[in-house]
Amino acid sequence: MTAVAPHFDAVIHPPPRLQICGLLAAVETMEFAAVRDAVGVSDSVLSKHVKQLEEAGYVQLRKATIASRQRTSLALTKAGRTAFDAHVAELRRIVGA
Amino acid sequence: MESNGIDRDDAAAQLAALQADRVALAERVVQPWWYDVALGLLLFGFVASYAFDSLWVTFPAMVVFFAGLGALVAAYKRITGVWVTAGARVLVPWAALVLLVLVPAFVLAEGHGHHWVMVPAGAVLGLAVMVMGRVWGRAYADHLRGGAL
Repeated sequence: MTAVAPHFDAVIHPPPRLQICGLLAAVETMEFAAVRDAVGVSDSVLSKHVKQLEEAGYVQLRKATIASRQRTSLALTKAGRTAFDAHVAELRRIVGA
Repeated sequence: MESNGIDRDDAAAQLAALQADRVALAERVVQPWWYDVALGLLLFGFVASYAFDSLWVTFPAMVVFFAGLGALVAAYKRITGVWVTAGARVLVPWAALVLLVLVPAFVLAEGHGHHWVMVPAGAVLGLAVMVMGRVWGRAYADHLRGGAL
């Protein structure tokens, strides 16, 4: 990971949103259902958190129709990746690691 | 130490939770064995088709190759729920190997009429992508398990 300046991010801070960003930071894209299962919330709760991350410009939704089923995948934007790295750096700073 | 209402214990717990998620993710990202075998066979078939020195063979082989790639990508996404793009650490050695095998093979095939060399060239690349796919898949999972966030 590239060294970034620690910065607390109020959008990322709530645990479900931090968890969503943490999962997306490790991959290129992740299916909505896979994120929902990993975070352990309902579709509607995940949608609410994703919407807030999307409005902040941190997460991008991609919709694709595969075998007549619509699949939604999520990806961190460049801004989202930077903000997540800075937030993690802030957590590390607080811990003193 | 406290910052923005987060004390040291909260921050440590959040970092630990993030790492636990990455460990759980590592369990699902490694592709099944048949994915690498199918990819190797597709690549072998495509490269080896040049041995016939006929567009009537190579063009259908190319269509099958790209259709197969599309099916493998779709299957990986459906099984794992994620997609991961290979970085330069994977792509650069792979591109170097492809050039190392294909340039002399094409010189022998097109320059000297030894079209049969495309069969062993395809076998080498097909086998290489199978082995390297397994290695890279496991290395990525290990990175998620033990790497920095």
